[in-house]
Amino acid sequence: MILISLKNIYKIYNVGGEEVRALDGIDLDIKNNEYLAIMGPSGSGKSTLMNMIGCLDTPTSGAYEFEGEMVQIMDDSQLASIRNRKIGFVFQTFNLLPKATAQHNVEIPLVYANIQKSERTTMATNALESVGLLDRLHHKPNELSGGQRQRVAIARALVNEPSIILADEPTGNLDSKSGSEIMQILDDLHKIGNTIILVTHEDDVARHAHRIIRLFDGKIIEDSKQDS
Amino acid sequence: MVLLFIENFRISLSAVFANKLRSFLTALGIVIGVLSVTLMGTLISGLDRTFESSMSWLGKDILYVSRYEWFSGMEWWEVRNRPRMRTEYVDKIKERSDYALTVSPVMQRGASLSFEDKKARTEIFGTNEDYMETITTNIVQGRFFTRNEDRSGSRVTVIGDGIKEAFFGDKDPIGQYIKIDDIKFRVIGVLEEQGKFLGLMSVDKQAILPLGAFKRIFSKRGWMRLSVKVPPDKMDESLDEMYSVMRHIRGLRPDQENDFAINQTKLFENQYNTLKMAIAGTGYAITLLSLIVGGIGIMNIMFVSVKERTREIGVRKAIGATKAMIMGQFLMESVTICSIAGFVGLFLAYIFSVFINKIFPSTLPITLSIYAILMSMTVGIISGFIPSYRAANLDPIDSLRYE
Repeated sequence: MILISLKNIYKIYNVGGEEVRALDGIDLDIKNNEYLAIMGPSGSGKSTLMNMIGCLDTPTSGAYEFEGEMVQIMDDSQLASIRNRKIGFVFQTFNLLPKATAQHNVEIPLVYANIQKSERTTMATNALESVGLLDRLHHKPNELSGGQRQRVAIARALVNEPSIILADEPTGNLDSKSGSEIMQILDDLHKIGNTIILVTHEDDVARHAHRIIRLFDGKIIEDSKQDS
Repeated sequence: MVLLFIENFRISLSAVFANKLRSFLTALGIVIGVLSVTLMGTLISGLDRTFESSMSWLGKDILYVSRYEWFSGMEWWEVRNRPRMRTEYVDKIKERSDYALTVSPVMQRGASLSFEDKKARTEIFGTNEDYMETITTNIVQGRFFTRNEDRSGSRVTVIGDGIKEAFFGDKDPIGQYIKIDDIKFRVIGVLEEQGKFLGLMSVDKQAILPLGAFKRIFSKRGWMRLSVKVPPDKMDESLDEMYSVMRHIRGLRPDQENDFAINQTKLFENQYNTLKMAIAGTGYAITLLSLIVGGIGIMNIMFVSVKERTREIGVRKAIGATKAMIMGQFLMESVTICSIAGFVGLFLAYIFSVFINKIFPSTLPITLSIYAILMSMTVGIISGFIPSYRAANLDPIDSLRYE
């Protein structure tokens, strides 16, 4: 089943009168339960592509279908709803709210999904348990290690049972031990049926994926499958 | 929506309390605004109450005929050159006027009263038997003097509640003799307790004597006014008639100006309303000014708050917040600051009002308090609008990159 379908996607910026093609005619299909890595040097358009897939950005032209729905014609609240229910973001810099506990951070997507407090608590606790942080529910981000913070972020991405998990350099700010723990969690999530999209420039990280897409100057220059 | 509302309220509270000093300083303008408007209300409520009770003592259906006009600002020598009121006018007015129901002459002077070893310095009034008709106070003990007692110059007196309390306490004063400037008078009645006139001068410490005795003993030619009771629904007609009656009594030619004045409590009311408007005007001006200053402060701090939390806004958008939800969050924050400020102002006003109440009876008006809170919330909405709008329309990608 095709989850995401990008057809002839262009993203063109005008910087100082000069046309910059961040995405230059992208065609890409992503199926359910794929484990995909998007690679490329900086400036290749991989962040733009990730934002596009994550419904944070809209294409200048082209068609984007998410589970059969036309994303490029959606308004702000429809996009927000897709991001809320279908996409789980994991960022390089974790992006947790510093004043909120781990549990509350994980609950925030559920607040926007209008879920009752008691149910939210259960769901957040379960998500944190699945990343091994049941003993850190009431810790604030600054009381957690980098690896633990990223696990909270993964729990937050997971809690709404999204269709895809979008991880942008998830190990970029971590030491190698925490990094491999995080990759292990992502591997496990893939095994139980989640669709995972990694954005990275590290081969070690990309090795976990089953399909690698290389971007250069806004174009896909390689789309290869690999066994792990 | 309700869930989000609660969540936003939670976020707002934690944002406000995370920056206590900043929030406090920002909200000071609103606190002062609410404080000034509610205190003004308290003050006016107190003045209203005091004024009403004082006015009821004067009586609304009475024309006061005397040498000078209230609140006219006449020079003393102009007043002095006018002829005095005379006791004979009482009968002349009764004879000529269709509207006058009763006419009561009143003379007044300071005197010292004593009973056994107790002394009091106070005002004494000389009047006739109709005096009780022209005031709204009642006799609570004993009786008023009669026409015969007035004519015969009997040395009897009706005392105010304050004198009774000071001299007799719980004992029965009727039939006792008190000394007024060393002359013995028999107490025949006690007036009901009145409280202070306009919150200033007590009318309970007075003694009323028959005019006959007053003139004989104290002064023949003292200051006198005439209280003329007229039908309350014929005030204007009565006033017009009284002018012509008085002009006739004084024998004034058409080209001569009045050498007397006719006052009514309406003059007090006019004067009072001017005072009230001045207080209200000042109160509203202070309130408006502090709300504007406070509102600008709130707007400023909300811009700072949005700037500081740009990244948070990006994250919230990435995990599913719509523009409206972000807008709601920041509007809620600014309304929360303003409401807390409003309640603080109200609380301070309440404390002040307790003290004011000790000076003269007044209450913090409840409706005005509710309006004050609503007003501070409105300031929160207005001054939070532009910052919240800006927050809502931040680009999520740029916000996530914001350092």
